[in-house]
Order: sequence, then C-alpha cells, then structure tokens
Amino acid sequence: MNEKNKSNQEAIIETEVALGTVHPAALEPYRLRLFVEDEIINDAEITVGVNHRGIERIMEGLPVEKANSLTEKVCGICSNAHIWNSVLVAEKGLEIDIPPRASYIRVIMEELERLHSHLLYLGHGSEVLAHETFSMRAFYIRETVMELLRMIGGNRVQYGVSIIGGIRPRCDLDDGRIQKISDGLDFIEKKVADFADRFVNDLIVMNRITGVGQISKKDAIKLEVTGPTLRATGVDQDFRKIMKEYQDFDFNVITLSNGDVKDNILARVLEIPESISIIRQAIKNLPNGSIVDRSWEMSDTDIIHSHIEVPRGTLYHSYKIEKGKVRGAIIRTPSMSNIGAMQLACIGNHITDAQLCIVQCDPCFTCTDRAIEIIDLNKRID
Amino acid sequence: MGLKSYSRGKAIHLMLVYTGGCNGCDIEIVNCVISPKFDAEQYNVFLTWNPREADVLVVTGPVTRWNKEPLKKIYESIPNPKAVVAAGSCALMGGVYKNIHGDIPSEEICGPVENIIPVDAKVPGCAVRPQDILAGVVSALPKLLNAK
Repeated sequence: MNEKNKSNQEAIIETEVALGTVHPAALEPYRLRLFVEDEIINDAEITVGVNHRGIERIMEGLPVEKANSLTEKVCGICSNAHIWNSVLVAEKGLEIDIPPRASYIRVIMEELERLHSHLLYLGHGSEVLAHETFSMRAFYIRETVMELLRMIGGNRVQYGVSIIGGIRPRCDLDDGRIQKISDGLDFIEKKVADFADRFVNDLIVMNRITGVGQISKKDAIKLEVTGPTLRATGVDQDFRKIMKEYQDFDFNVITLSNGDVKDNILARVLEIPESISIIRQAIKNLPNGSIVDRSWEMSDTDIIHSHIEVPRGTLYHSYKIEKGKVRGAIIRTPSMSNIGAMQLACIGNHITDAQLCIVQCDPCFTCTDRAIEIIDLNKRID
Repeated sequence: MGLKSYSRGKAIHLMLVYTGGCNGCDIEIVNCVISPKFDAEQYNVFLTWNPREADVLVVTGPVTRWNKEPLKKIYESIPNPKAVVAAGSCALMGGVYKNIHGDIPSEEICGPVENIIPVDAKVPGCAVRPQDILAGVVSALPKLLNAK
C-alpha cells in the first residue's frame, strides 16, 4: 500500500443511513440508524416507541375479565399467548384449578398459533430475501392454519379462547372439529416438508443466507435473547419443558449451532413438526369432562408473575387484583429482549443484509412498544 | 373511458400504512394480496411500499401521536387522484384502545383516521377479513377510474 492509498483510506468517513419510521424496506414502523463505513455496518441502532399505545396504562382499573380481553390486542400475531398468560396470572392468584380438557385445548390453540407465527416468519423472511415464490408458498400453507384457528376461535386473528377458569364454550372441540384438525395437520406436515426440501436445496438462497447475521452463543446469553433465536445459537432452553401445561406431552427442543440467518430459518422449520406432534398427542388423549370451572370467587391478591413460552420467546405478565380490578400491570414481550440481538447481528454485514439480520430475530415491534423504566444500577450502588 | 383511467385500471397499487395497531389487520391485508388463496394480483391489484407509485392508501391502526405527521406526509406525497381506505375498528373509531374507559385514558391515540386525512371507504372488523378488504378497495375504485 503506497502513501496515497493510505491517505485515501483514512479519509473514509463513517456515514449514517437512517431508515424509518415509515420506510418501504420495513413493514412495521420503527426507526433504524445504520452507521456505515464503505457499505459495511459499524453500528446499528433501533428505536421503538412509535407504536406506543399505553396498554398497561389503560389496563389500570379495568375489571379482570375485560383486562384479559384487552391484553389480546397487544399483538395480532401471538394474541392467544397474551390472553392465555394474562388469564394464568389471575388463575394463579385466585388459586383456580382448570379442568384438564380446557388445558389441553389451550395447548392446541397455542401450538396452532406457533405454526401460524413460524409460517408467517418464513413468508416474511422470503419476502425480505426478495423471493416471492417462497413467500407465496409459505402464505399458502399458513392459510390452512388460519382456517383451523377460525374454526376453533371464530375469528382469524383475535380468538379469545381463554377465560378465567377454562375456555369459552364455543371453542370446545367435537369429533368433526378434531377430524378437520387432523386432516389439516397432515396437509401442513406434507407441504412444510416439501417447502423445507426446496428451500434447503436452493443454492442461490442458501448462499445468500449462510453466515449472514451471526450471533455467538456467548453474546446471545449476554443479551438475554429468548425463543428460537436463542436456540439457533445452541442454547438448550425452552420454557415449555418446565410449564405445567406441557408436562403430558413429549417433544424435542430444537437447537442449532451457528446463529446465522440460515440456522434461524431452519430452527423455525424444524419446530413446526414438533408442534404438529404436540397437537396430535393432544387430540389423541383429549380428556372428557367440563371445559370451564365457574366455582371461583374474586378476592384481592398480591402481585402475581407468570412466564410462558410463546412463538417468539418468553412472555411475562404481572398484575395484582384489587376489588376485582387490575392494578399495576406489567407486560414484557419477547421481541423486547431480542432487540439487542438484532442490533448485534447487523454489525459487520453489508448494508443490503441489514433488513435480513433484523428479520431473522422475528421482530414484532408493535408488541415491543412498552413503557420501560431504565434504572442505572451503578448509580444505585453508589 | 379515457386512456388514463384505462391504464390505471390495469395496475392499481395499494399502499399499506401501519399507524400503531396490533399487526392483525396489517398481516391480513398483506395476506389477501400475497396469499394464493385470495390473490388480489389476479384483479390487477398490487402491493407497493412507495407513496409515489400508490393509487389507494390503506390505513390501519388508531394513529398514535408519533404516526400522525408521517401519515399526513404520506397522504400528501401520493399523486392525484387517490383514494383512502380505513381498515379495521381501530382506524374507524380508535378501537379498543380509545373506547375501553379504564381509570386512565390513553393519551397516545390521535385517531380515528378521519380526524387526520379524508377517508373514502371504511372496512369494519377486528381483525378485518381479507374478503372485506377486497370489497372495500373495489368500492373505492370508481373515484380513481372516473377521475379526469
């Protein structure tokens, strides 16, 4: 390298590329700032808060049943997970044992939702890859899941299955519905296997996504990443293994090792057969009996916490009940803790791959826009 | 039918704007264009993310405070003639976030969409069904096609 080139290289200045809040590349409104040096990203910064609606604020003082229905509106993708966890908080506090049949149907709904969320991820990811054919195929398979969800819940997006003490009577499963579910599962399993086969054997797609947006296991643990994004880096952690509702079911936790876009996509693809196997076990061993326990009484409780595993990671809800009303609700969604991973995955990649690195963590910025309080621990120690 | 409206009718571009809803309606709208089951592309309806290309603006969500100005800018940058479709109960009346009446009302919601930009067609539902969206977009089309 001669003297002239050297001085040229020193003259390269870090520039900022700002995307958002509404931008053609990003489907949801959020602000992304990329600090770029010669097409390579040096640093990335994601700002959320555009979608802030203040769900926790408007939950304050609502009757518990109404508040549970409101939590469903936090997110349109994992709506069932939110209402389930919110109901679990109340059930823990009021010490209600729900009938086993209701618990099984909740698990079936949650796994169907996991199928729809993962297929949406595949569709969205393929669209960001600019591969419309794969995207359309994923949406085609997803349509079957949406029809099953509509059959059970009565609506395509917000189902409202769980209530305190069990599930709504309209969501009960009879023989005809069970037959439709098992037919649908056969179809999905076959189509997803075809899809995965084509995806993995497509050299162009594989070259595009292998090694892009890598997150190491150490970084993932440090950033408190959750869900399939964490499992794709090689950490064997799934909340379903310790959840009471999933104790009757036998399933594997999918772990992969690289943590790049390819492993993230494969982790979701491989989780789909596991979810299908859980639903099959549930409809095979579905217990008889009532689906809702109405013999409970409202009382005041302390602050109750509940964690469950949702399609995108670990979801946390907590509130306390005072005279039948909700006080001090806190919701923590999985994408909140995955933002760190999204920023880290961008660093060192080309600017064209930035959107892909963010989408690989399965973001849902609408449910991420929560009010957070940042406490400086160092100051506290002083 | 003039040449302009003939060519417009052959390629209608939808632009979707999220203004802070729950993502449910947004995915249903993307679904009804991309999914092979509904496949709006067979009726010459295409999804775009560029306001300069768009003919129909589909707005979802209750319009949070930070989304108010971007929404106005997007509306202004769409060339005339244009039509606006408000989809979902949030876009029509502020949705559950504005009307649930807890102890503290939410200060973040500026909606419904009508307060901010003029709306031509309204599609109800929480979340909207893909069939309804197609019907809503079709009902807004005469405004585009009959324009001089």
